[in-house]
Amino acid sequence: MDQLTSLLGGFSVALEPINLLWLLIGAVLGTAVGVLPGLGSAMAVALLLPVTFALDPTGAFIMFASIYFGGLFGDSTAGILLNTPGNSSAIATTFEGHRMARDGRAAKALGTSAIGAFIGGTIATTAVVFLAPYLATVASLFGPAEYFALAAFAFVAISSVVAESVVRGLTALGLGLLITLVGIDQASGAQRFTMGAPALFDGISIIVVTLGLLAIGEVLYVGSRIRRERSRTGTLAIGGGSPFLRGAEWRKALPAFLRGTSFGLPFGVIPVGGSEVPTFLAYGTEKRLAQRRRDPDFGTRGAIQGVAGPEAAGNATAGTAMGALLALGLPTSATAAMMLAAFQQYGMQPGPLLFERSADLVWPLIASLFLGLVILLVLNLPFAAVWAKLLVIPRHYLYAGITVVAMLGVYAIASSTLDLWLLLAIGVIGVVMRRFEIPLAPVLIAAILGPLAETELRRALAVSEGDPSVLVGSPITVVLYAVMAAAVAISAVQHLRHARRDARQRVGAR
Amino acid sequence: MTATEHERGTGSTQGTDRSRWLRRRVELVVPVAVLILAVGLGIGTAAMEVPPNTAAPGPRFFPTIVALLLGVLAVAYAISVVRNPRELPEDSRPGELSADLLEDLGRLDATSEIGVVDPEHPRARAAAAARAADAAIVERPGLDWRNLLLLVGALAGFVLVLEPVGWLLSSAALFWTVCRIFGSRRPLFDIGVSALVAGTVQLAFSAGLGLSLPSGIFEGVFAWIS
Repeated sequence: MDQLTSLLGGFSVALEPINLLWLLIGAVLGTAVGVLPGLGSAMAVALLLPVTFALDPTGAFIMFASIYFGGLFGDSTAGILLNTPGNSSAIATTFEGHRMARDGRAAKALGTSAIGAFIGGTIATTAVVFLAPYLATVASLFGPAEYFALAAFAFVAISSVVAESVVRGLTALGLGLLITLVGIDQASGAQRFTMGAPALFDGISIIVVTLGLLAIGEVLYVGSRIRRERSRTGTLAIGGGSPFLRGAEWRKALPAFLRGTSFGLPFGVIPVGGSEVPTFLAYGTEKRLAQRRRDPDFGTRGAIQGVAGPEAAGNATAGTAMGALLALGLPTSATAAMMLAAFQQYGMQPGPLLFERSADLVWPLIASLFLGLVILLVLNLPFAAVWAKLLVIPRHYLYAGITVVAMLGVYAIASSTLDLWLLLAIGVIGVVMRRFEIPLAPVLIAAILGPLAETELRRALAVSEGDPSVLVGSPITVVLYAVMAAAVAISAVQHLRHARRDARQRVGAR
Repeated sequence: MTATEHERGTGSTQGTDRSRWLRRRVELVVPVAVLILAVGLGIGTAAMEVPPNTAAPGPRFFPTIVALLLGVLAVAYAISVVRNPRELPEDSRPGELSADLLEDLGRLDATSEIGVVDPEHPRARAAAAARAADAAIVERPGLDWRNLLLLVGALAGFVLVLEPVGWLLSSAALFWTVCRIFGSRRPLFDIGVSALVAGTVQLAFSAGLGLSLPSGIFEGVFAWIS
């Protein structure tokens, strides 16, 4: 029960008034950015990173804990009220959530989503407390070949299995890897592709890449289309009704919360790009169960289970993703990658040794995840209608604000205008990628895991003196590559089956 | 993928008109750019100065792999665009998630679900046409080059003047310009909003968090605040 003692120690730090204040500020900012349309939780962390530069590490990580979950609490609001999910992790909640909203039960849907986020996050964080030390033990079995296999798994899963088009996904991956090559090679000290510019010796910051692709790219793309479309008129009123669940609703929702959480927990540790896969799995399960019990609401008026399951799954994934980041040093989503960037900003490397070396920081962070969830529940359950007011901010102020804050965030990293030029260039690339439907996630995951993949690959080959068979030399690597091959095969069959079905339907329609 | 097949099924006159042939293969600019990057990366790798006594898989090892990968992908991408031409969707968005995968995972069907996941899905288009009246209506497809260039120009201008002029004025000007480009119709009111945003950030960062933002022409004025 060492963990409980350490956790109590963590709580005593996190409950200090100044740290509670950072926690509250983070929760408010995180929810606000999450609610704003088009901004997800990864953007929330990236945009708010500069705010923490001036804090001490403890305060900064406590604030991050609540920003991290705050973005997730907020991002289903736009989906439920407007049918425009701000983040791909909120799509599955949108289906039944928006139906409930149209049925006049928007408050109930937002309440269910807040409770689901709380339950999923709390169970997952509890799991992290008890499993993290064991995960760290497992991680200590990992050598260079195993880490390279994990990175390769993430690359293939996100670019080929999860993305819509394999060639576009892999191209995006290649571009991301290209970005990581810039800078001084740490192993040999050779300058690579810096063109002699000292500002590039440290490489291109992941914050520049994320804000360029997601923030500036989105501003430029939306701006280049704004005169061509009539904007949607107004928001859906939340209307009456209580956000709190009653007895009968709890009996319906609670099993869905737990089912969703159980889908979400394992996916936080598997690097397939975050919570899209588990949220859709949870939605699919609720839909099948609704069909089995002949629920007349599901798919028509909107069923509470259809919101409860995916929302709990999403936050459970985020919770265990934090565990994987802390114990394995492996970011499994863009949001976790932003947290990794924050750690590196303070000169810390998450991984098996983190719990030994920086225990004074890790346990307050985990304690603040719990406190942050409680604060977020209080902020979101009764006041969902207040947050929804953010949705009526005129679009021009919203995007002008994103632009200014993104510029500020990048300039705050190193006070370098070269970073700002890079931000603009990556933003333009982001527009091109959006136009041709090239996925952005593989660029980010490659930019994040690329250095790890290169270092571990070279280390493995140096030890084996160039013999590539070392890469499949242990049971762990064999299992990882086998699972990867199976996922690719299943995905290929899936695409073929759907293509055939679509072709059949076209013939039938004629 | 499904969109391309959809087009192949309906379009029977392709290939006769040269401009039409090119218009449906505009995407070729991407593999061309990727190929240029791959060649540049290869040249840079070959020309790289490697410090003596570097251990076996040296700093050139990984760039070589990435350059080869990008080169192969550029060719595969070009072949895929030439063989499966398509009109670009009116409202494209990054193909982050495979619609096939999500349909299977989420047991989605041809109801409104698919419209949220993938508005350009053939089945979703049919449904969208029916409710086009209250949804966002695209008048003309494609990018608005004027607005895009204005935005890029505004951002570039901001980067140029930030350090000489200072955060307060340049970020206020950036905010105001982006508002105008996004179609705000209250220029005078926006000046107030821009000043408020820029000032709040400057105060919060300089006085509150103790981070330095360039003060530019207000050099000295902020000294007593922070």
